Amino acid sequence: MTTQQTGYRWIGQSMKRVEDPRLLTGRGQYVDDIALPNMTYAAALRSPHAHARIRSIDTSKAKAVPGVILVMTGAEAAQQTGPLPCFASPPVTQYCIAVDRVRHVGEAVAAVVAESRYIAEDAADLIEVEYEPLPVVTDPEEAIRSTGDAVLHPERGPNNIALQRTLTFGPVDEDFAKADVVVRRKLRWPRSGAQPMETVGALASYDDATGKFSIYANTSMYNYVGWLMAMSLKVPAHKLNIIPTMAGGSFGSKLFTHKVPILAATLARACGRPVKYVEDRIDNIMNCDNHGSDRIYDLELALKKDGTMLSLRMTVIDDYGAYLQFGVGHHGNALAQLTGPYRIKSAQVSLTAVMTNKGQQGAYRGFGSEVNNFAVERMADAAAEALKMDPVDIRRKNFIQPDQFPYKIPTGNVYDSGNYEAVLDKALGMADYHGWRRKQHEARKEGRYVGIGLVSCQERSVFSATEFWFWNHEPGFALTSSPDSVDIKIDPTGKAFVRLHAPFWGNSPETVATQVLAEQLTIDPVDITVTYADTDSGLPGTGPGGSRYTVMIAGAIAGAAKEIKEKMFKVAAHLLEASESDLELRDGRVSVRGTDRGMSIGEIALQAHYFKLSLPADFRSGLDARYTYDHPYTTLPNADRTDMGVFYPIMGHMCHIPIIEVDIETGQIKFLKYVAVHDAGTVVNPMTLAGHIRGGTVQGIGSALYEHYYYDSSGQLLTANFADYLIPTLMEAPENIEVGHVVTPSPYTEYGIKGGGEGGRMGAPAALASAVEDALKPLGIKIDGLPIRPVLLREMIREAQQRRTEDGAAEDLQGPSDWSGRSSREHLGGPPGNAER
Amino acid sequence: MKPAPFSYVRPMTVEEALFALAQQGDEAKVLAGGQSLIAMMNLRLLKPRCLVDINRVAALDYIRQDNGTLAIGALTRQSAAETSPLVLQHCPLMTEAIQYIAHRPIRNRGTVGGNLAHADPTSELPAVAVATDATFVVRSANGQRTILAADFFVGHLTTALRPDELLTEVRVPPWRPAGQGWSFMEVSPRKGDYALVGVAATLQVKDGACQAARLVYNGVAGRAQRVPEAERALVGRNADEAAFREAASIASQRVDPHSDFHATAAYRRDLVNTLTRRALAQALARCGKRSA
Repeated sequence: MTTQQTGYRWIGQSMKRVEDPRLLTGRGQYVDDIALPNMTYAAALRSPHAHARIRSIDTSKAKAVPGVILVMTGAEAAQQTGPLPCFASPPVTQYCIAVDRVRHVGEAVAAVVAESRYIAEDAADLIEVEYEPLPVVTDPEEAIRSTGDAVLHPERGPNNIALQRTLTFGPVDEDFAKADVVVRRKLRWPRSGAQPMETVGALASYDDATGKFSIYANTSMYNYVGWLMAMSLKVPAHKLNIIPTMAGGSFGSKLFTHKVPILAATLARACGRPVKYVEDRIDNIMNCDNHGSDRIYDLELALKKDGTMLSLRMTVIDDYGAYLQFGVGHHGNALAQLTGPYRIKSAQVSLTAVMTNKGQQGAYRGFGSEVNNFAVERMADAAAEALKMDPVDIRRKNFIQPDQFPYKIPTGNVYDSGNYEAVLDKALGMADYHGWRRKQHEARKEGRYVGIGLVSCQERSVFSATEFWFWNHEPGFALTSSPDSVDIKIDPTGKAFVRLHAPFWGNSPETVATQVLAEQLTIDPVDITVTYADTDSGLPGTGPGGSRYTVMIAGAIAGAAKEIKEKMFKVAAHLLEASESDLELRDGRVSVRGTDRGMSIGEIALQAHYFKLSLPADFRSGLDARYTYDHPYTTLPNADRTDMGVFYPIMGHMCHIPIIEVDIETGQIKFLKYVAVHDAGTVVNPMTLAGHIRGGTVQGIGSALYEHYYYDSSGQLLTANFADYLIPTLMEAPENIEVGHVVTPSPYTEYGIKGGGEGGRMGAPAALASAVEDALKPLGIKIDGLPIRPVLLREMIREAQQRRTEDGAAEDLQGPSDWSGRSSREHLGGPPGNAER
Repeated sequence: MKPAPFSYVRPMTVEEALFALAQQGDEAKVLAGGQSLIAMMNLRLLKPRCLVDINRVAALDYIRQDNGTLAIGALTRQSAAETSPLVLQHCPLMTEAIQYIAHRPIRNRGTVGGNLAHADPTSELPAVAVATDATFVVRSANGQRTILAADFFVGHLTTALRPDELLTEVRVPPWRPAGQGWSFMEVSPRKGDYALVGVAATLQVKDGACQAARLVYNGVAGRAQRVPEAERALVGRNADEAAFREAASIASQRVDPHSDFHATAAYRRDLVNTLTRRALAQALARCGKRSA
């Protein structure tokens, strides 16, 4: 099925976002907008060293500054507050302020609380810290061999390997033995991050009469694992209430931001006044604990000479930075769609996760699967080239076919549904692929380098919990639940209230909840109000992440609405003297089918709230329901991890076709066209989904062409501000990202919805690499790494031109070739290609 | 990201501003548009003890011409200069260059004088000033002097201004459009970023022959850098692709750019080469035309 199901009133409408009126008029109440009486402000002193022992800290000058209320070192904080939550097994100890040792540049070594943020920063400048520098590790391959003082966490073992394990799915060796061709490639995916407009912040207070903390924070997952923060603060879980604020963007990076709330709470308890701590931009870049993947891949793809893909081997090193809060969940995530949309029968992954003196990894749109997409699609292109096949044909040949769903991939995960050729064909048509191939040919005659990229990528959606632990040798806390809840009440006048148990973090949860409830109860969206529960009133709520929230709250709302409908029917049947089975809900009225006898929801609600004695004796007053919806389809991994079970079965898909032109004299890249066709199952709101696709695509363009957390060999982050860490703006984005949809509903979810929140970032990086490589095919340039920055591209072009000149090839390339000036690539952040590592 | 403590003076006249500078000496910084200064203060890269805010000194906000000499008051916002018909008529090179300064909201605040006095080596206006032989009017409580653009820029963020002096006006000599072409081109990582390399080029052509040329670069040295060797390679030659190639090649060899995260020296040389060739070609195409 390639068109949207019909028959819905609100599902499928491009309804304007109900969040926007208050967000766009400055009434969004972000964390920094919240104020409490007697509030104070905190600032942190940041380590200039990437790795050092803290010899001593002298806070006396800072304490003497008028307006300073408290100065706290890590050792002092650790007397009250324990280590931060950590899902790694065994855990890695991290404190909200470093104790004894700093492990990356920017890590907090002390915090100041003052009457203003200005004073706090003035005082922080006066804290004197004596450091003893330790050997710095920034190279992930070198980290494997670290010993002695270069080991970041000696209590975990004598080296910097966080986890090393090989998983084999199916007959990999046999399949490789059967291959006609084995294509090999070494790829580099660099560290980048989400860069939300709003940084991480918290406003914490502690009531010593009740012994209870209240924390306003822009974190997520507080109704899932928020109690872990209480454990860190050494209070019982019910002595901590986390109150969500609207988050000014997350893109994953606020998944479970625990350090900032715990720091603010620790300071608030110590000084007896509310403390606000909001990261500044440099803090967020260095210390947000949510850097993205940082991987080196060695890949082998086994094929028959007709292009049939047989087996995939990956050896991957991932640089996790200084801590390991979410374990290696990102590699669990990648196993959900390890083999992409292709019928690859077996696969093997050898993972070495290492620790280095960098900010730690967390969540960033894709959570490791966007990197897997990059790897698989680069290999598909490499295979096409090796076999002299068209990149379209090799993909088409290997696609899982529509009649093969549900389809189990080698890792054990199941893909629910899909029609990959339909997506591909729609994208090819929208892009005028064949027309552009002709134009590309013409352009090359004029010395212009036009490139056409094409990728077919998966977007697994609706994450579950097992991916966080199933890689571990000892799973630790092997949770399997990832529910989401709503409660709904209809007030006596018939208006509806939905309460969500996870926060707004830049997506459209209120809009989705409104549309789904309007559909369920046949009411008008203007009659619905959506609010957010704190932890005191919270039901189980995993929250957004892994493109899950639309599916999950649609399920929860459908469940709660069913109970409300039953109650309404009970009231109406009694008062209309009809049988419930003769009633129908339509246009906000419960009526006796085939008659004009009926009651509006408002009339029913009034009766339900106030006229118990007119109702059946067993009727409980009110019109409300709460519902907790569990992940619709998950199973456990097996013991030897040859089958990881079903953990991410709601499978979206996309085809991206960017058409670009490279200026070979400057290395600059210009967009000529960009087409993105997605299948996110039944679409709740085409406009907001297109927003995810376009926004994600631009973020993916950032990962592909601009963004890099670049640490030099001394562990200094050279891109710690927005003058150096480059995010694409509107000027760098394609003029129009043309979005198309193909709809294959999920058989497992309410309405057949699939997630689409990670959107274009799942596909754009691979698509851009494909396009640039295609443009520069006449020069023989391979794109094996990101970001493809002009300086590096130009360097590769210059080398290619020199090679051609030396080879005596016809000088058909414009531009200068007389420069042999070379400089160290070390401070340039490494090559985007040609496997110089 | 809060600045260190500072005091603040807001003069209403040039004289008051000069008085404040005379009193504060090198403890003070002049606040004009604040687009560089405030960011540096928030990062605590700069900790001036006093800010002399000249934003109310209306007498420094003007664009006028006198017998073809363009005079721009130091407080003129970059966007005002960008859209000024007078600037376009008398210094089209400046009109073109200003479009490379950051983004419109920044140009709405940033001033022409502030940009020049800040002397960022990647900045566009210093290159334009050097290319056009502009002069800078500088005042202090003790009097006034004029400084040739080539002498004004000393090095990275450093000018010939003394601590008690205020840049009040930029004068651009008369521009004779007949046979004159111009071009400003730049490469930056993104639109509006600090330039990796920019070039301000002017060309005078008569009967197909190049009579004079100017080639001034931003982003390749501690200050805007003119490359006379490349200019000389053009003079007397037919203004054509071969001459432009040679000048571009000379320019790329004469500059000695630095390497940083965003660009290697080799890449900057490549850009000098390419941009010089392209800018000269565009300047040639504009020769004889009024400001296009």
